[in-house]
Amino acid sequence: MDTFAQLLVGGLLTGLVFALVAVGLTLVYGVMDVVNFAHGEFLMLAMYAALGLALIGIGPLLGLPLVAIALFLFGIVVYRVFIRRLLAGPPEATVFGTFGLLVLLQGAAQATLTSDFQSVPNPPLQGTIHLGPIALSQASLVEGIGALVLTAALFAFVEYTETGRAMRALAEDRVAATLMGIDVQRVNGLAFGIGAACVGAAGSLLMLSYPVYPTAGAPFALTAFVVVALGGFGSIQGALVGALLVGLLEVFGGFYLAPELKMVPVYVAYLAVVLLRPQGLLGRR
Amino acid sequence: MHARRLSALLAAAFALAAIGGGGATPAADVPEIVIGSVLPLTGTLAQTGAGLRTAQVLAQDLVNGHVSYPLPLVGKSGLPHLGHARIRIEFADSQGKPDQARAAAEQLITQQHVVALIGTYASSTTATASQVAERYGIPFLNPDSSAPGLTSRGLKWFFRTTPHDGTFAENFVQFLADLKKTKDIGVKRIAVVGEDGLFGSGAGDAEEASAKKGGYEIATRVSYPATTTEVNAEVQKVKSATPDVIMQASYLPDALLYMRGYKQQSVAVKAILAQDAGFIDPGFIRTLGADAEGVFTREVFSLDIKHRNQAVPLIDQLFRERFAGKPLDGNTARDFMGILVLADAIDRAGSTKPDAIREALVKTNIPGKLTLMPWNRIHFDATGQNDGGAGIIEQVQDGKYETVWPFDVAVRPAIWPMPAWKR
Amino acid sequence: MTAKPHLYALGAIVVLGLLAAFGLHEAVVLDLVFTLLLYAVLGQSWNWISGYAGNISFGHAIFFGCGAYASALCVTHGLSPWLAIPAGALAAAALALVTGFPTLGLRGHYFSIATIAVAALVETFARTTPWLGKANGFELPIASGWAALQFPQKGPYVVLALVLFAAVQLATIALERSRLGYYLRALRANHAAAASVGIDERRCKLIAFAWSAMMASAAGVLYAQYTLFIDPPSTLALAISIDIALIGVVGGIGTLWGPAAGALVYVVLAKAVALRFGGAGKGYDLVIYGAIICLIAALRPYGIVGTIVDALRRRRGAVA
Repeated sequence: MDTFAQLLVGGLLTGLVFALVAVGLTLVYGVMDVVNFAHGEFLMLAMYAALGLALIGIGPLLGLPLVAIALFLFGIVVYRVFIRRLLAGPPEATVFGTFGLLVLLQGAAQATLTSDFQSVPNPPLQGTIHLGPIALSQASLVEGIGALVLTAALFAFVEYTETGRAMRALAEDRVAATLMGIDVQRVNGLAFGIGAACVGAAGSLLMLSYPVYPTAGAPFALTAFVVVALGGFGSIQGALVGALLVGLLEVFGGFYLAPELKMVPVYVAYLAVVLLRPQGLLGRR
Repeated sequence: MHARRLSALLAAAFALAAIGGGGATPAADVPEIVIGSVLPLTGTLAQTGAGLRTAQVLAQDLVNGHVSYPLPLVGKSGLPHLGHARIRIEFADSQGKPDQARAAAEQLITQQHVVALIGTYASSTTATASQVAERYGIPFLNPDSSAPGLTSRGLKWFFRTTPHDGTFAENFVQFLADLKKTKDIGVKRIAVVGEDGLFGSGAGDAEEASAKKGGYEIATRVSYPATTTEVNAEVQKVKSATPDVIMQASYLPDALLYMRGYKQQSVAVKAILAQDAGFIDPGFIRTLGADAEGVFTREVFSLDIKHRNQAVPLIDQLFRERFAGKPLDGNTARDFMGILVLADAIDRAGSTKPDAIREALVKTNIPGKLTLMPWNRIHFDATGQNDGGAGIIEQVQDGKYETVWPFDVAVRPAIWPMPAWKR
Repeated sequence: MTAKPHLYALGAIVVLGLLAAFGLHEAVVLDLVFTLLLYAVLGQSWNWISGYAGNISFGHAIFFGCGAYASALCVTHGLSPWLAIPAGALAAAALALVTGFPTLGLRGHYFSIATIAVAALVETFARTTPWLGKANGFELPIASGWAALQFPQKGPYVVLALVLFAAVQLATIALERSRLGYYLRALRANHAAAASVGIDERRCKLIAFAWSAMMASAAGVLYAQYTLFIDPPSTLALAISIDIALIGVVGGIGTLWGPAAGALVYVVLAKAVALRFGGAGKGYDLVIYGAIICLIAALRPYGIVGTIVDALRRRRGAVA
């Protein structure tokens, strides 16, 4: 029973880490129908940025807003220079354009920062919290809380602000939104920037527990794609639900099936869900 | 401005002339002996490949030079039995991929007409490159791949100087046995943990077999995907199996996850015996700090071997000068030795004919004291495996890796059991 | 549109390839030619389902893996590797039908993610199943001659790859002219409209998927017989699937010569960068390749061949 409770909490916290990475991805998809396959590489850049700050004395938590702002600007530049052009082409152009970006960023990181593992020396929050029989690491608790805050903030932003409403309008009907006078390029650019800022926050928090290297973002991004598709592309609540489900399936699958088969329930669940509901759990048709 | 540039040029020209004049000049009619080397020079293993290349070139230059060290065939201005012919290494890139390694080996044999091949670090690329050598009948020396299966393929032209994962696993069991002679270590149950790729599963199989042979009970076997981002279930599996010792093979990201998981879940074991990789990455101690204390890891090499061969710090110094100050490590030391073993065999063969070189390799017998390694000797058994290979075991003590086994090269006694987790 | 120019072009390539196979002895050049042809076949195979049928797959390596593993299993069990060609094709087609039946109806990214999921399941299966070699994979014992489908020289391999390439190109020419080809194009342009005139989407796509899988499997057999070593990372991994997809796109998605052009760019670039930056080993190859893909996606989203076809059409239009 203690083991079960421990796995349950571990699975939920794992899920929250996945949500942290996934929310930015789903926002961008919702607004402009783009799956950013370089999402994991944005995360990698954010982790390097957080590491750089940590090395000059600004720890991952203090550095979080700085990294988020840096990634926001980076996202806007990438949108202006690159993504905007992809949107003018056929749908597959966005898929392969962002894939090209993935290859480019990984290569650039390897060329300039080497493929060595690097991590924050003696990172903060390495203690353990005991709740009865359950033990949690402070870092994963902070990461989990960060995920909840970020998801809630993003949800509130999209629901209750002027720009958020414009984003929703774009997601609903691009043509109608344009006719209503919404500046598509501006809103798209903002959405892409905010998506990148979310990854910036995620990257800072992940530096509490993970080392960074040129392909560090890839495993998180792969899970994030499944999470977002499972929850329904474009749905922020869906990403949270999908992430929690994936976290639980992975942890329980790892224990009761076998650790080497831990991803099997995740992928099987994805296939099962989209067969019954092709738009994912909370996605719109 | 012009005058200054001119004088700089002149100075450079003089410097070049001085270097040219100072080196050993081989007779013009002595042909070069070309050795082919297949290494991961691009791709994800490129960083490692660059180090290996530097080590091999260093060995080549020392063989061709005239400064003597207590190492085979170093400082004799080339190969004495071949009229002091110089050796030259031609490199080809495996990209760390089996098919590219194959193409690279083929290129070296058919175009560069190399007399022998060396390489290739990753076990899967060694598998394909050595097959090419077998097909063309060219000796292949593998100094650095640890998958046990490589020497059980019945190849005639394949020789491996490094011990393989089976040897390292036996080292663990031997280490426990040696400790047992000094005190009661209370070890019955062993948990075997490893990533599910070639490295972790090979190491795990070897550990399981050695541990059973040593009379231990396997408490659990955990095999997990290397790119995983969390190890909740894995740590619970280990914890509920209540092992006395964990034998583990992981890369750095997963090694950190496990270490934190063990601490957080208060997994109380007497020792963690790790298979280098993530556990000797510079990031391991740097990230974990005090939580890394007491972890044991096997290594193939340590600068502590200077107590047995005084060449170790000298070669280390030369290597640092060429490789941006990075010290000689297990991989680079093994590749350095690999070139010496090949040069020694070619010299004793007195010929560049493949058959003669192979015969000489078969007869290789270099005492351990004349190597940089902790080995007993270099001598190949019928499968081409060096039967004198051995590893060392280090323990993290006061934030540093200290050699604790074998006892004759140990610089500190092992701390057993490892300290309890700090709160 | 007549098929003649395409047939002439294919004929010219086959003649050039045969000249290379019998005239050249440089192992490096022949290796390059073989790799080029193999990637062109894989790209075309991907093009059937992702280009013509419009379902972008990120899991195509599993069909390549079917052939490679069939070859390894046949050889290590003392059977003829020739048997691996039908056996691998059968396994690949069955896998395509079983996984395609439920997923081919998924739209856009939902399908792409499903292919990643299926491929990950297949890779996990191979990695954990003892009779599939687990993480060790298989090493094929050395043999020689046509019966063993293994040769000490490269020439015969180039001939075999050339035969496969020609067969795949001919099949694609036939597809472009067939009813299936028209149906697929109609579905890709507007699946609702196509369905309303009675085109059975699932059936058409399943047929294309099965053919596509069998082509990739044949390439897998050839790869295994050539490399003589296979394991999950070199045959089944996501990275291989992505390489295949990128080759299909760089050349031009849904075009007859696109995959060949993409393979040419991929192979030549990889070689050139390795030669130019060889020892540096720093990921410049990735930077250049990534930049090329980015540029193509942003400026020439229809790929190399798509751009040429477009230009030709425009010129023809101007003349007429």
